[in-house]
Amino acid sequence: MKNFQIRSKMVNGVAVLYLKGHLDAHQVARFEKELIRLIKENNFNILINGQDLNYITSAGMGIIMGYIDEVREKGGDIKLCSLSDRVFETFDLVGFTEIYDFIKDEQVAIEKFSHISPKA
Amino acid sequence: MKNSAIFPQKPDFSITILSQTQLLKMVVELTRHITTLFNFPAAEAQKISLAIDEAVTNVIKHSYNNETDQHITIEYFLAPGGIKIRIFYRGLPPDISDEEINVSKMIKKKKKGGLGVKLMKTIMDSVTYETVDGENCCEMIKWQKTI
Repeated sequence: MKNFQIRSKMVNGVAVLYLKGHLDAHQVARFEKELIRLIKENNFNILINGQDLNYITSAGMGIIMGYIDEVREKGGDIKLCSLSDRVFETFDLVGFTEIYDFIKDEQVAIEKFSHISPKA
Repeated sequence: MKNSAIFPQKPDFSITILSQTQLLKMVVELTRHITTLFNFPAAEAQKISLAIDEAVTNVIKHSYNNETDQHITIEYFLAPGGIKIRIFYRGLPPDISDEEINVSKMIKKKKKGGLGVKLMKTIMDSVTYETVDGENCCEMIKWQKTI
């Protein structure tokens, strides 16, 4: 069984990335590759669903940090939803919770993108 | 700050691993196991393990430049009320700044790295680096909270 899995789907114009398992420096290249693919395909409304994510290190958080500015410049955003308390606390330790939008429920998070119209 | 002299001279446990990121999860699980055995609450054990993950990742990425055939030794020292973990490695000495890490500035610069040290310093009570005769050592201490 893989330690980390990633899949994505489009929901009402929002690219939802589902992260599952243990995301550390060994696994992070796959996460970055998928995020780059979405951005290259002009998906700037990106929701990271971490419901099944049980561990994240700065390697994974660094990827989100490295692309957020580009996505926001294009009129979109990267939001996060459905994190466990433990994973949320890791984001909180580095101050991400003051900069990023963390939402408990995926549907509510998708609706929060509705007022955003990404620039072409 | 409590006196770190209460820790034993010799480690209670040590492990030497190759500089491979695939081994990080094993180090995390080992550290979590040791800290839990030593009565750290599960949430604290999880955080200490994360700090060790960050420190070893930095060694592999920055000191060994992702070379996979180098060695890293991790030593665990246990004392009443605390744990000291020392990580020994060669390669490039650490480039650790005392400057406060500002995530907003890092976003503007599109930086992907630099958060690991912030995590280590936030989680642990003490993080120090030293280099002696080409051997680098990262020492971290965590005290148990008294109720």
